[in-house]
Amino acid sequence: MGDVKLAYIVQKPQYKGETSRLAITHAIAYQTVEILLEDGDTVTPTLCFVGEGVLGLQKGQKAMDLYGITSTESHIKNSLLVDLDVLVCKEDLAKYGIPEDAMPDADDMGADKKIKVAPFSEIQKAMEDAKHVLFF
Amino acid sequence: MGTLTIGCFPGLVGNMSYDFALKLAEAAVNKGHKVNIWLSGNATGSVKAHQKHLKDYSTGEKYLKALLEKGVEICTCEACTVARGIQKTEGIEKLQWNAMHWYLAKIHGSDRVLQIGGE
Amino acid sequence: MKLAVFVSDFKLASDTLDRLKADKLGIIFVANGVYHATTKENGKASALLDKAPNLYALSEDIQTRGMNDADVDKRVKVVNYGDVVDIIFNEYDKLAWL
Repeated sequence: MGDVKLAYIVQKPQYKGETSRLAITHAIAYQTVEILLEDGDTVTPTLCFVGEGVLGLQKGQKAMDLYGITSTESHIKNSLLVDLDVLVCKEDLAKYGIPEDAMPDADDMGADKKIKVAPFSEIQKAMEDAKHVLFF
Repeated sequence: MGTLTIGCFPGLVGNMSYDFALKLAEAAVNKGHKVNIWLSGNATGSVKAHQKHLKDYSTGEKYLKALLEKGVEICTCEACTVARGIQKTEGIEKLQWNAMHWYLAKIHGSDRVLQIGGE
Repeated sequence: MKLAVFVSDFKLASDTLDRLKADKLGIIFVANGVYHATTKENGKASALLDKAPNLYALSEDIQTRGMNDADVDKRVKVVNYGDVVDIIFNEYDKLAWL
């Protein structure tokens, strides 16, 4: 069957509920899925943040210091480290007044991959290119 | 016949989206489709055995058991489940425990996927 | 893409739905989403009924809330769980739950 592309669409803000965080960890899990699949089969998620889902992504998060839980920033950095494509909706960042350079990177962890701030049309294309879409 | 995989994240008690997921699974398996259910987030609280069915609350156990008997594969996220204080020895029999990649592997072989987000 | 969107809330769904584009878009109203099909707010039908030509509402969730088929907007087809299974396998290729 080969590769199956998935579009994860995160539309809820981080931290109050668990769903938006689980989207990220379920995307990262693509790294180990091959142990359950036939040779040559893979799953490739694209992680997309839209609407209120762009809230809670900024760098400088102190969730571990204050609540003792892994920050979303850390999960995002791990996503980049395992080469996930991470798209954040440009229009929605602008809508909420969040500067694009507030998005974290994982340079300190040696990741080449960067968050891509992308127009919604590109996220729409990710949905069209995917076999399945998963809304979180 | 096709394969439907449902990701169910809402809690059993306090959210009827969980009930929807199980009823849809039942309808699909009754029509001859293969069905997989992945429980994550608060939905994992439903895998503990010996649930008391109080009529003010939805119940998971008897429906989960019925679906398992019909051949539906049901798996709970182990990390989410133990985080809620439930150990595998306390769980409903025949219900699988695994990591998130189980869900992705089932999605790989599925014709349709319905991801029902939780709270 | 042929996308079936499950709408499970009376509020909160339109922001995402407004932007979704699909060659074939269907909306399946379930849970409290069925109020879109049955309820006129200040005399006005839900704007979601104008978003897609293919509209369905789950009979079980309508009846659970004390309503019946006669309360459902004429544009919406009332379906049961079995119908939903057929719809998602036969008429759409991707599913979204809002």
